[in-house]
Amino acid sequence: MTHRSPRLNRWIVFVAVLLMLVGFGSGAGSVMAAEKIIKIGTIFPLTGPVATAGQRCQAAVQTAVEIINNKHPEIKVPLAKQEGILNGYKIVLVHADSQGKPDVGKSEAERLLNQEGVWALIGSYNSSVSKPASFVAERMKRIFMCGASSSAALTQRDMNYFFRLAPTDKTESIEFVDVLKWMNKTKKANVKTIGIIYENSEFGKHAAEEAKMAAAAGGFKVVADVPFSPGATNLNSEVQTLKKSNPDALFGAVLGADYSLLVRTMKQMAWLPNIAINYCSGYQDPVITKQLAGDADFFMGSTAYSPQFASLMPAVAAVEKIFKSKTGGVPFDGDSIQEAVAMLVLAQAIEKAGSLDPDKVAKTLYANTWDSPLSLGGKVAFVKGGQNIKAQSIVTQLQGGQYKRIYPEEMADTKIIFPMKPWGKR
Amino acid sequence: METFVQVLLDGMLNGMVYALVAAGLCIIWGVMDVINFAHGEYLMVAMYVSYWLGFLLNVDPLLSVIAAGIFIFILGAMTYQLIIRYTIGKPGLVALLATFGLAIFLKNACMNRFSPNFLILTDTWLSDKTLHMGNLIFPVPQLVAGLLSLVVVGMIYALINTTRFGWAIQATAMDRDAAELMGINTDRIYLVVFGIGGACVGIAGGIMPSYLAVHPEVGSMFGLIAFVCVAMGGFGSIPGAFIAGILVGSVEALAGFYIAPVFKYIAVFGLYLTVVFLRPKGIFGW
Amino acid sequence: MQRKALNKKDALWLGFVVLLALLPLAPVVAANSFHMHVAILILLFASMAQAWNIIGGYCGQVSFGHSVFFGIGAYGAGMAVVTYGGTPWPGILIGVMLAAAIAVVISYPCFKLSGHYFAIATFAIVEIFHRTFLVWDWVGGALGLDYPLVKEGLKNLMWYDTKTGYYYCALILFLLIFGVVRWLEGHRFGYYMRAVREGQETAESLGVNSTAVKLAAMALSAALTALCGAFFVQYNLRVDTPMVMSLDMSMKFVLITVLGGSGTLVGPLLGAAVLIPLQEYSRALWGGLGGGVDLIIFGLLIILIVVKQPAGMIGIIRDIGKRVLKQKSAAKGDSADGTP
Repeated sequence: MTHRSPRLNRWIVFVAVLLMLVGFGSGAGSVMAAEKIIKIGTIFPLTGPVATAGQRCQAAVQTAVEIINNKHPEIKVPLAKQEGILNGYKIVLVHADSQGKPDVGKSEAERLLNQEGVWALIGSYNSSVSKPASFVAERMKRIFMCGASSSAALTQRDMNYFFRLAPTDKTESIEFVDVLKWMNKTKKANVKTIGIIYENSEFGKHAAEEAKMAAAAGGFKVVADVPFSPGATNLNSEVQTLKKSNPDALFGAVLGADYSLLVRTMKQMAWLPNIAINYCSGYQDPVITKQLAGDADFFMGSTAYSPQFASLMPAVAAVEKIFKSKTGGVPFDGDSIQEAVAMLVLAQAIEKAGSLDPDKVAKTLYANTWDSPLSLGGKVAFVKGGQNIKAQSIVTQLQGGQYKRIYPEEMADTKIIFPMKPWGKR
Repeated sequence: METFVQVLLDGMLNGMVYALVAAGLCIIWGVMDVINFAHGEYLMVAMYVSYWLGFLLNVDPLLSVIAAGIFIFILGAMTYQLIIRYTIGKPGLVALLATFGLAIFLKNACMNRFSPNFLILTDTWLSDKTLHMGNLIFPVPQLVAGLLSLVVVGMIYALINTTRFGWAIQATAMDRDAAELMGINTDRIYLVVFGIGGACVGIAGGIMPSYLAVHPEVGSMFGLIAFVCVAMGGFGSIPGAFIAGILVGSVEALAGFYIAPVFKYIAVFGLYLTVVFLRPKGIFGW
Repeated sequence: MQRKALNKKDALWLGFVVLLALLPLAPVVAANSFHMHVAILILLFASMAQAWNIIGGYCGQVSFGHSVFFGIGAYGAGMAVVTYGGTPWPGILIGVMLAAAIAVVISYPCFKLSGHYFAIATFAIVEIFHRTFLVWDWVGGALGLDYPLVKEGLKNLMWYDTKTGYYYCALILFLLIFGVVRWLEGHRFGYYMRAVREGQETAESLGVNSTAVKLAAMALSAALTALCGAFFVQYNLRVDTPMVMSLDMSMKFVLITVLGGSGTLVGPLLGAAVLIPLQEYSRALWGGLGGGVDLIIFGLLIILIVVKQPAGMIGIIRDIGKRVLKQKSAAKGDSADGTP
C-alpha cells in the first residue's frame, strides 16, 4: 500500500479547478472589433439530426453577406452594386452551433451577444431553439432575424426585436385546406377525410394542431392522427395505420431521412392517398428528387422557392451560383433562401436607418415594405409581433422530378395530377 | 385477420434484422462482458461502406455485405487492439464509456467526411421489390435481410459450438485464466471475437442501404434496440438474442398498429422490463 | 489524529468555497457572462454528478436513468411557472418528492437485476419516460413549456440581465449536495453504502439490509438530482423532453462522475471542471465551422482518459502527486512510499 499525502492532493485539485475557472477566461478572450465592421451572429443546428438543413441555412447567410460586402453588378438584388453598407461598413459573421438543442442555442445566443459582441442574430431553424434564443436577444434589445422557423407561436409573443420571414404553419394549413376545397369545387375531387402524419417534435406537433384547426374550419374530417418518433428504424406501423383509415388526403410534416423512409414504406405497402401535401420539410429538400427519383412524384407541398421558379424570381439565379459553390452544388430550398432574405433585409434596414441603433433599425424594419427579389412575391413587410405578412408560398406538385406550380391558380404553370398515380402504374 | 398477419410479418422481418445487429453485440458481451456502445455506429459505418461501393463502383448492396462485413471486422479488431484491450479486468463501466466516446467520434467523423445529408441507393437489385401472396405483401429487401440474418446467426452458432476455435472461445468466456493455462491465446480470441461481433453488424449494415437511407444518425436507434435484444435474450446466448430480436420486432409492429405508432418503442422497452423482472437473467439466461 | 486530518481537509474545502463565492467579484469573470455561464454549468453539472455519485459511486449501482429524475424536477418547476402561473418553489418541492417516490417505485424491481441487466433496464426506463412525456399533453408534450416574462428575483428564481443570481444559486446547490455527500462519507449510512458496493452478500451477512440501503440511497440521489433539474429549467427558461429527459443527459451524469473519479468526494467536481469547459469552449471555438470538430475531439478525449486512467482525473492527480512526492523524498534521502 502506497502512502499518499492527502494535503498535497487537495492542493492540486484546488489549483486545477482554479485554472479551469479563471485560466480559460483569459485564453478565449474576444478579439477587439476593428473599425467599420458589423458583427452578425448566426445560430444553426450544424450537428445533430437536422444538420443538413442547418448547414444549408448557414451557407445561405454567408451568400447574402458576400453580396452585401462586395460589388456584384451582375446581381439584381438591393445592396449588391455597392460595397458594404453605411458608407463602407462590412458585415462579419460569427457562426455558432445549436446542435438542435434549446439550451445550447440559448447559451450560444448569450455568448454571441455578450462575448463576441455581435450586433444582431440570425437563426435558428428549429422553432424550439429560436424561441429561447430570441428571448435572450429581446431582453438585451437586440434584433433577432428568423428565417425558416415555422411555429406560429413565435410571432404571437409581442416581441419588439424579433422578425420572422417564413410563412407560419398556420398560414400553410389554411392554404392546404383551401387547395382541397378548390379541388372539390373545380375537379369534383370529393375529398372528405384527412390523415396527418408528423414527427413528434415541436415542429410536427405544432403543424398538426394548426392542420386540425384548419381542417375543422373547412369542414373536413381528420380520420388519422399519426405522430411518429423522428429517427425511427421503420415507419411500418405508421403507414399501416394510415392505410387502415385510408384518408382521401394526407398532410405531412416529416423531415429529411424520415420523409424518404415514409415514401418508400408507402410504396412497399402499396398505399397512396388521392392527394398528399407536405409542410415545408423533407418534401422541398432538393436532394429528394435525386434520391427518390420517380417515387417522389405526385406528392405536393408548400414551397417558398425552387429552381423551377426562375421565371417568377429572375434575380435568384445569380445568387444561387454563389450559394451552390458553398454547398457542393445543392440549390436553394424554401428554408435556406429565407435565411438569405433575413440577412439582406436586415442590411437594407441598417442602410435605410442610417444608424446602428437597434431601436432605430427595428422601427425602420416595421415602417417599410422591403424589396426582396429573393422572396416569392418580391416584397417583405412586418406586422406587430414580427411576422412577415408578405410571406407567400406556392403549393407545388412534383412531376417528373420538377416542382410544378399548382396553386394559387394565378401563379400556376401546370395542371394538378389528381389522384396521385398508383405505384403500379408509374 | 389479414391485417394482423401483415403487421406481424413486417414486424418479424424487421425483428430478424434487429437479431442480426444484436447477435454481434451478444457474442462480444458473452465472451468479454463488454457492452459495445458504438455498436449502432458500426452499423452506420457499414451502411456508408455499402453505399459508397454502390455509388462509386456500382456494386449492389447484396454483394457489398461481404466488403462491409470485412471492413467492420477490421474496425472491430482495431477497436479491441486500441481501446478495449486496456479496459479488460477494469470495472465494466470503463469499456462502456470508452465505446461511448468512440460512438461520438464515429458519428461526428462520418458527418464531417460525408456531410449530414441522407443518401439513398436507387435501383438496387432488391430495392422496392415486393412479393405478393394473396393479399399479403412481402417486402423483398427485408425478406432477404431476414434470411441473411438467419444464415449468419446460424453460422456463428455453429462456429462457436462445433469448431475447435469455437470451443476456445467458450473456454475463454468461462474462465480466462484457466483458458490461458490451457495454452489458448486469449488476447487473440478477444481480438477475433470483437471482429466477428463487428462483422455481424457489418453484414446487417451492408444490406440495409437497399431499403434505408444512410445518414450519420441512422445507427443510434438500432444500437439501443440491440442492447435490449441482447439483455432480453440472456447473457451471451445467441439463440436468445435471435428470439428476442424477433419478439421485439413483432411487439413493436403490433403495438404500433393496435395501440398507436408513438407507443411502439414504449412497448418494446416495456417488454424488456417485463421479461427481466420475471427472469432477471433474460429468456435464456441462467 | 483522524480528527485533525478531517479538520484540515474541511478547512481547505472552506477556503475553496469562499474563493468560489468571491469569484463573481473578479472582473475577468463578471465582465463576461459567457465565462459566468461556464462557471454556473460547472457547478450545476458537478452537483448533478455528485448526486449520481451517491448511488453510482458510493453504492455501486450504475444507473443510466437519472435523467428521469432530472426531468421530473425540471417539469415540476416548469409546470408551476408555465402551466399554473405561480412561483417555481412549490413545483420544485413537489418535483423533488415525486422524484424520490418514483425512484423507489422503479428501483425496487430493478435492484433484483445485476450488472448490465440493471444498466439496460435503466436505459429502458429513460426511453419509456421520454416517449411518454412527449405524447402527454398535460406536461406540454412535444411542444415543451416556455417561460413567460416575469419579475426577476429570488421569488421567481429568475434573472435576466445578470447571471450573478444564478451563480450564487448554483453555488448553494453545489454546497448543499457536496455537504450531504461529505456528511454521508463519515456517517454510518455511508459505510453501509460502501459495504453494499464491495459485496452485497458480505454486507448482508454483517446485518446490513442491502435492499433498504440501496433504495434509500437511490431516493436521496433522485431527490437531489430533481433539485438540479429544477435549477436547469429555471436557468434555461424552457423545458422540453429531449432537453432534460434523454439518454444523452443520462450519460452526462455517468461520464462526469467516472471521468472525475467515482466514489470520491472531489471526483464529480473534477470531472465537471474539465469536461464542461472543454465542451463549452471547444464548441465556441469550432462549433461554428459546422464539421462537428468539437464533438470529434470530445469523443477522442473521453476514450483517452477512460483508457489511460480508469480511476478518472483523481487517479491522474494521484499519479502526479506520487511522482512529485517521490522526487521530494528522493531529495531528502528517505522514501515516502515505504511508510504505511
